[in-house]
Amino acid sequence: MVDVEKIIARALEEGRRKLREDEAYSVLAAYNIPVPEYCLATSLSDLERCAGRVRYPHVLKVVSRDIVHKSDVGGVIVGVRDLEGDIEAYKRIMDNVRRKMPEARIEGVLVQWMVPEGLEVIVGGLRDRFFDTVVMFGLGGIFVEVLRDVSFRVAPLTMDDALEMLDDIKARKVLYGVRGMPPRDREALARIIYGVYRLLEENRNIKEIDLNPVMSYERGAYVADARIIIG
Amino acid sequence: MSKRPDLEAFFNPSSIAVVGASPKPGSLGRAILDNLLLRYKGKIYPVNPKYQNELGLKWYHSLSEIPETPELVVIAVRADFVPGILREAGEKGSRAAVIISGGFAESGPKGRELQDEAYRIAREYGIRVVGPNCIGVYNALTGVDTFFLPHDRMRRPPRGPIAIISQSGAFLASIMDWAALEGIGIAKAVNFGNKMDVDEVDMLEYFGWDDDIRVILMYIEGVKPGRGRRFIEVAREVTRRKPVILLKGGKTSRGASAAASHTAALAGDHAVFRGALKQARIIESDEILDLFDMGKALAHLRFPRGKRVGIVTNAGGPGVIMVDNLIRYGLDVPEFSPSLQERLKQMFPPRVAVKNPVDLTGDASNEDYEKALTTVVESGEVDIIVVIALMQPPVLTVDLGDLIADIAWKHHEIPFIVVTMGSDIAKKLEERVEGRGIPVYNFPERAARAVYAIAHCSKCG
Repeated sequence: MVDVEKIIARALEEGRRKLREDEAYSVLAAYNIPVPEYCLATSLSDLERCAGRVRYPHVLKVVSRDIVHKSDVGGVIVGVRDLEGDIEAYKRIMDNVRRKMPEARIEGVLVQWMVPEGLEVIVGGLRDRFFDTVVMFGLGGIFVEVLRDVSFRVAPLTMDDALEMLDDIKARKVLYGVRGMPPRDREALARIIYGVYRLLEENRNIKEIDLNPVMSYERGAYVADARIIIG
Repeated sequence: MSKRPDLEAFFNPSSIAVVGASPKPGSLGRAILDNLLLRYKGKIYPVNPKYQNELGLKWYHSLSEIPETPELVVIAVRADFVPGILREAGEKGSRAAVIISGGFAESGPKGRELQDEAYRIAREYGIRVVGPNCIGVYNALTGVDTFFLPHDRMRRPPRGPIAIISQSGAFLASIMDWAALEGIGIAKAVNFGNKMDVDEVDMLEYFGWDDDIRVILMYIEGVKPGRGRRFIEVAREVTRRKPVILLKGGKTSRGASAAASHTAALAGDHAVFRGALKQARIIESDEILDLFDMGKALAHLRFPRGKRVGIVTNAGGPGVIMVDNLIRYGLDVPEFSPSLQERLKQMFPPRVAVKNPVDLTGDASNEDYEKALTTVVESGEVDIIVVIALMQPPVLTVDLGDLIADIAWKHHEIPFIVVTMGSDIAKKLEERVEGRGIPVYNFPERAARAVYAIAHCSKCG
């Protein structure tokens, strides 16, 4: 069992307002939120150890407290199929980042199982002055960006509330399967929402959570990217 | 669930002191006194050092002179005197105060300080406070009425099953006046202005447990910081027993703040509050008109057993619009069973549509409505009836109103809602029907909202 409090306390001590991606994943995993297996490689020689622990295909992502948008600095490489590819991707990421953001402190490269494509949804959480813990659910991409088709609920939240959120968006039909796409595992999504709720309820230092995207499947779901704001 | 907040002293006090009472016609202190004298049966103690005997009452120089402990103290004096008066009330043993006076937090930092001071004193003596900067409390059942609005300006509505909670005094006064005009019954109402102590959560809980209240209407601009969780807990409990309809003011002021995450950026405007209301099963109303329309239906009608709506109309277009709107609000307009359709077919010429809506067409007579309504109601295939009766064709007479009401009262387990559109004769039909306690709406869309409101609470009372 990972000590969530310890992870957050250490990050705060280091003056960070955001958990590193690997930290975010261990925090999520501690609340039974499904995250794809991962390993933080802190050096090229460490990469081999990591690569062997994570199933293929891999996605490699730079981990740096100074980088907000990893893709913009060439810090993400997807679809890596073997160790050779891992090494190449690692080097390329380091090159890209050193060229585009030479001052960025780099903690390492996250080697992660690249989960299969699914329906992209977003699950979030925040603290509200009036309602305290707030959770959010929506479909990814244009549904959230353009249409702002999201649903909010507040504390105290039940598992039923979380399930209801899924039906509270305009595009709810997509979750039941349209145009030959399969229906999605609603309970798995509701569990993630509920996990985010508990995480905020039990850790006052967590301010905001973005799980974006969460890949949703006929069976199960995986968090494919996570951002946890602390303070 | 904690026990109901003890706010009885506000709504059912044995005695009321009015600090800042005045015999001067047109003054606020006079209006409060007049309203109490009109209906309140308990003891009234006017407090004002300038007077001894006025309006047939003995007046007091101060609260301390009053021979008993006034259960409720109404304060309508300049803001800077209020802390002193509160202390006096506390020493006297009073535990409930309505502070009508303005000039507190709403007016700036100095007023804020004054309000904080008043709050400290209230806490010290355990005084519950409604206000400041409010019109206070109203109870049609006991005659408690601290509204400083004279009866000729704000008529008092008849007694009825509705309670109103309003952050705005003006909103409450106008809705009460309107309710009086429409004959909509109101039992209790409260406006707490700056809500220094008693707020919407307290009031919701209090009215939630109040057997005099069947429906709660709310206008608020938000909950106090940190109060949201309790609001949800209380509302969830209350909406299991009775419908709560809420209109939220200030939906667009929040704006998107500098947000570190996607989630926070999306949480602007009214999105979080709207989600919270859904979670609490509170019916959200987007317009004052809706609040009125839904309130009217809920005040008059029983809750239906289900959400199947049967429509009988003499007008095709409005019938179609009715169906569209009902479907939009999640109600069912089921096609009648073959046997019911067959019975209806045998009653009417072929031009009459019998699937639901039953469209009797412009030639329909009073008797046609009677036959169609009775047949549909007795079929057991619907839970709610909507009657659309346009009076422009020459056949119908306003006696149709009584005919509809007779059927509705005979089958009172099925709520009836009537739609009529037009001018003079439509108004006459409306009066006839509403006189018998059946709500009438002038547009199908508005009637659909009303149907939605009563069907929303099919598990209530």
